[in-house]
Amino acid sequence: MADQVTLTIDGVSVSVPKGTLIVDAAKRIDNDIPVFCYHPKLKPVGMCRMCLVEVGRVMKDRATGQVVLDDAGQPKVGFGPKLETACTTPVEPGMVVVGASQKVTDARDDILEFLLTSHPLDCPVCDKGGECPLQNLTLRHGPGKSRFVYDEKQKNDKHVPLGGPDDALIFLDRERCIQCARCTRFCDEIADDHVLGFYQRGRKIEIATFSEPGFDSKFSGNTTDICPVGALTTADFRFGARPWELTTSASICNHCPVGCNTTFSTRREAKSGGKQVIKRVLPRQNEQVNEVWICDKGRFGYHFIESPARLTAPLVRKDGKLVEATWDEALTRVAETFKAAGSALVGLAGGRLSNEDLFAFKQAVSGVGGKALLDAPLAGGDLTTVVGVSAGVNSGAGTDLGQIGKGTAILVVASDLEEEAPLWWLRVKAAAERGATLIVANARPTKTDRYAKHVVRYDVGNAVSTLAGMLLEGSSDYATAFAQAENALVFYGREGLDFAGTQALAQACANLLIETKHVGRAQNGLIGVWTTANAQGAAELGLTTTPASPAVLAAARAAWFVGTDPLGDGRLTRKDLPPFTVVQELFLTDTAKAADVVLPAAAWAEREGTYTSGERRVQRFYPAVPAPGATRPDCQIAAEIGKAMGATRFGGFPAQVFLEIARTVPAFAGLNYAAVSKVAPQWPDVGGRDQYYGGASTTNLQGLGVQLPSAAERGTVPQAARAEAPALAHPVGTLLVLPIAKLYDRGATFAPSTLVHPRVPAPFVAINPADAARIGLADGDEAELALDADTVLVVAKVTADAPEGVLLLPVGLGVATPEGPAPARVAKSARVAA
Amino acid sequence: MFTEILKGFVTTGKVAFQPAETIQYPEQRKPVSARFKGRHELKRYDNGLEKCIGCALCAAACPADAIFVEASENTDAQRFSPGERFASTYEINLLRCIFCGFCEDACPTEAIVLESNYELAYTDRHDAIITKDKLLVAPAAGQPTTPMRVEPGTFDRPVPDMKNPD
Amino acid sequence: MDQGKHILFRHRDIANLRDLDVYLAHGGFEAFKKAVTTLTPQQVIDEVKNAGLRGRGGAGFPTGLKWSFLTKDSFPRYVVINSDESEPGTFKDREILTHNPFQFLEGAMITAYASQANTIYNYVRGEYWDVVAGLERCVAQLYERGFLGEKLFGTEFKLDFFHHRGAGAYICGEESALLESIEGKLGQPRLKPPFPADKGLYAKPTVVNNTETVTNVPFIIQHGAAAYRQNGTEKSPGTKLFCLSGHIQKPGNVELPLGTTLRELIYTHGGGIRGGKGFKAVMLSGASSVVLKVDDALLDTPLDYESVAAKGAMLGSASVIVLDETVDLSWVILKTTRFFKHESCGKCTPCREGTFWMLSILERINQGGAAKADVDLLQNVASQIQNKCLCPLGEFSVTPVLASLKTFRGDFDARTTDGAPKAAPKSAPKKAAVEAGD
Repeated sequence: MADQVTLTIDGVSVSVPKGTLIVDAAKRIDNDIPVFCYHPKLKPVGMCRMCLVEVGRVMKDRATGQVVLDDAGQPKVGFGPKLETACTTPVEPGMVVVGASQKVTDARDDILEFLLTSHPLDCPVCDKGGECPLQNLTLRHGPGKSRFVYDEKQKNDKHVPLGGPDDALIFLDRERCIQCARCTRFCDEIADDHVLGFYQRGRKIEIATFSEPGFDSKFSGNTTDICPVGALTTADFRFGARPWELTTSASICNHCPVGCNTTFSTRREAKSGGKQVIKRVLPRQNEQVNEVWICDKGRFGYHFIESPARLTAPLVRKDGKLVEATWDEALTRVAETFKAAGSALVGLAGGRLSNEDLFAFKQAVSGVGGKALLDAPLAGGDLTTVVGVSAGVNSGAGTDLGQIGKGTAILVVASDLEEEAPLWWLRVKAAAERGATLIVANARPTKTDRYAKHVVRYDVGNAVSTLAGMLLEGSSDYATAFAQAENALVFYGREGLDFAGTQALAQACANLLIETKHVGRAQNGLIGVWTTANAQGAAELGLTTTPASPAVLAAARAAWFVGTDPLGDGRLTRKDLPPFTVVQELFLTDTAKAADVVLPAAAWAEREGTYTSGERRVQRFYPAVPAPGATRPDCQIAAEIGKAMGATRFGGFPAQVFLEIARTVPAFAGLNYAAVSKVAPQWPDVGGRDQYYGGASTTNLQGLGVQLPSAAERGTVPQAARAEAPALAHPVGTLLVLPIAKLYDRGATFAPSTLVHPRVPAPFVAINPADAARIGLADGDEAELALDADTVLVVAKVTADAPEGVLLLPVGLGVATPEGPAPARVAKSARVAA
Repeated sequence: MFTEILKGFVTTGKVAFQPAETIQYPEQRKPVSARFKGRHELKRYDNGLEKCIGCALCAAACPADAIFVEASENTDAQRFSPGERFASTYEINLLRCIFCGFCEDACPTEAIVLESNYELAYTDRHDAIITKDKLLVAPAAGQPTTPMRVEPGTFDRPVPDMKNPD
Repeated sequence: MDQGKHILFRHRDIANLRDLDVYLAHGGFEAFKKAVTTLTPQQVIDEVKNAGLRGRGGAGFPTGLKWSFLTKDSFPRYVVINSDESEPGTFKDREILTHNPFQFLEGAMITAYASQANTIYNYVRGEYWDVVAGLERCVAQLYERGFLGEKLFGTEFKLDFFHHRGAGAYICGEESALLESIEGKLGQPRLKPPFPADKGLYAKPTVVNNTETVTNVPFIIQHGAAAYRQNGTEKSPGTKLFCLSGHIQKPGNVELPLGTTLRELIYTHGGGIRGGKGFKAVMLSGASSVVLKVDDALLDTPLDYESVAAKGAMLGSASVIVLDETVDLSWVILKTTRFFKHESCGKCTPCREGTFWMLSILERINQGGAAKADVDLLQNVASQIQNKCLCPLGEFSVTPVLASLKTFRGDFDARTTDGAPKAAPKSAPKKAAVEAGD
């Protein structure tokens, strides 16, 4: 056991690891020392002075260093003349802390009185009312009457948009601010976005943003959780509802493979015609996944669920037009045609579907001999089931990014983590700061480089050869560091690669892990930075990843698209579709418009199910709002189709399907919803009686999830295999377009969140200054980008972040982008501005 | 025996000519006390702005969960109440209400007040849910109604007048 | 001091001492040369320890002892000179920096040698930009003549000197806020521990000393600890620069041995009270002082750290503000509180909110709109601030308030509406704050 220190707090003895702060030690014995500026995830500053307590230390003789004993032979404890802040004082053996004395009670009353002198009388109009630490602590420790003259209160700006008046996501009320610096410290220490700071001094001190656009951080919403007053509030939830009027439902964010645990706060309201609607998204504490944070996409990107454009009834094509039909009619038509198609049925599912949906889909399709595929651009899912991160069945503790530090190597290749999986970026950064050896390999600089011990720059398309090179002994210091590390994790993405390239890269990464013996145990393995939430689940359930292409559908007589829109993405055209196409979707997408039958699906927030995160953790989500119209959960639809075809014998309810998965898929053996919903006390304790100690992040009472054991852990011996990617032709003097990911895009699940639109960039291309000078492009110019298939109009951004000869083109902003790197030409647009 | 009958007639005769307590309702109405808790009203300030700032403290205080409030943002072009916030939806379910007056006590701006109207019969249950338009009093004579357009900066505070409680 | 006997204000004995050649002609840089070429850093520390030199910035901490606290085996080290002279009533360092700059520079350089530091930063308050211009010229000359730079006097010791100007914040005179300011961050004090001697500038061991303190060092090294101890008392040896301001006949700086009585300072050297008025009160350490009522016992108190402490006050930086019989203490305290409220950095709650609150009450008192209860409230608020603040600024902001309320309560009560028999507000009330409020 690490060094334990025993001390007494208000008469209760407690033993904690050396270095623990008094506030945390007290929390362990349910002694809530009030705090404002302290947060267990931030470095303590001792600014607010709310946690002042009496601290007595064992007295030592100055000369001899011996402990002074009293008459009874016990160490004498001497109390200092001043109170000390519990949040900055580490525990010492034999320390006596007193929080329950008159002196401390008076001190707490005094500090609260000071904070309330200029605090505005805003409780009735403040969004924080009802979940406000200042309110709670005032009622518990503070004065009942004010002695401060109302007219002399310091007045300040209220309702300041941090950003422009039309694009602020967060509003600042400077009068309510109690200058605790939690927001500035979060931005500096955790998000590493130095966009918020103090301005002025003394009573005039206030928060200001220093970025353009204001508060330019993908994690800005977290400050509204940890702000102890209503100074920082989101524009999304402004005046939404009172906290006690909200119902909470646990969920999992479905934008990226991290699988952040979230909570939906819902209310049935008159504004929405009596419907129950989602008012906001908050993080849910899961120390092994997202701790107490979520990114702004997860926080503000839920509006698509309630979009009026949602499909609400099945549609069937009659006389060339899609008309509403009943479920019976639609399902009968589908089942008959699919059964007749048999092995000529091709099913393509998107990675946003839950485990239950994908399983039911696979059973139905393969039950009649068809091909059930995952339509995704990143291969390697099958490899992650073998050499993916392990649950530690033999060691007890699974893979947890929050536990790694010195002794672990993390390799991030071909991925811009901050844009693709922000919470992984946050956790990898924290791991690097704790001493993990971070190696970042990419063709261009990304934000992850800042914390890397080794930054490996290769030419576009050379990711695979770079990885393969790491297997050569002594080839580089980063290869050696990786091989010699006790534990190693590899995150791989698809930047600079086409689909075949990603397959090769995944194999190369797997080879590296196998050769360096970093498989089959916890804190080791391969993680794919998937483009969707449940691609890992699809892999675990045995679906093969094959992106939709004309070749895939060449021999098909029927196609079933579930949660994927290849026509909208430009990967298929109408003529590629087989004679009978069924689309199961939330919206009437381009593919749906060309379909013969359209089945309306329920969104994940309207039903229950499970997702498997990229770290192979199965997590459960619960329904938050009722499903609209006649929509049904995907797994139910798939099971009904399967039943009608005689291919499926289980019912469509998610819990049932999950039991079926546990019965048939070895990795899921022994699991059920109860196991996945198990909770355990977490540290730091941001819930409990003193819920706002850690922020508004809600207590996790609905499940921590279960990590699946990898095949390697279960006994399979992983084998290395050939990993080759053809060299990419990039003649000198030509330009290569490199598609890159952007967190904020115009995708179907993010576009309805109009409040974030000002932060979604207009389509642009990033070009190196040397190339820009040669072509005659200046920063901000409108440019014509000529790709193989079409020419698109974009804004030119001249930056050294783009390597010479390479154009960075973000995906998903509304202009066609190639699948992988492709040659291109760019010139200043000939259009004259009107 | 006759004396008893006569006594009865005398009593009847005495009382017959005493003034009656009965009042001719509805032509005559008995005045209610100052503290009488009748039907609610949402009050306005003298300048026509609504007092209600949509804080929902009345809804929280209501022991019968009879009040439903939704808040929205004021703008200077369309101002309903002083300050940033007003109640865009305000409904009281009179079937639930027990006329205790806790809402009146909880209100920070003295917006919701139980007045003297006790004539609350309705023939349809839906009529029992009174909405904001029925609760809001009319503005004082000569004052504009809400929403109104105001000069920016004039009504930034939700509670414009503060009397020192001492 | 007697003419010719100055240790710090040698420019009052020798003309043009700020000319490098004049300074050199009068033994300039002999001490530095002696230290670098013949003494070890530890020997320098020991000599200063033996001399008993105490910090002149206000705390009076033994300088040699401070130097010995530097964490062993941790390099590089830094010497930072605190020339952010911002305490109201203090102007001694300015005279040194303007008229005797080379002695100051030599003292800082010897300090660096003793601390095994190769970089000195002189943090000067921004308002002294003209002083800094002169100092930078002096430093340039030292580089030219080989007193700064590489391989000094043929040894391996190298030394660089930089000036850093403040931007108008009194709080940056607090050593940890000063270090934050040099590092380019918000000038707010740090948590201690860790202390600057362990993790100071850029998280390296740092010595922070006052301008006047280091200006003593060349003499000590040149002439020895015993010679230094010829002046002053046993526990407070040496000479001190006293700044006289307020209702004094001859305001200005004067260098005197520690232990000189207040009477001698005020009447012999200061020329007594202006206009021959009565001497009501004195503040010995600038605005942060305990305001002392003047009587014979006080006048005969020797001005050294111990004797003043025995009187319940602090000698501090010896910024003596003289208050005559016409002074109303409530007005003085309004001034000091306004100063502290303006200078508070805002980091910790009691100082940020408390000084603002005390100022509101004092403004009400001074405008005649307060009652006696408000004076009690002021007492209460000041006590509430005490012992809760993150740094000494907050603590010192209440020192004059509490001391004046204790000793001169009558001055405050006289300004209230219900306090004194002949209570008549000196000015018409601007706000009747408590009663109305509409």
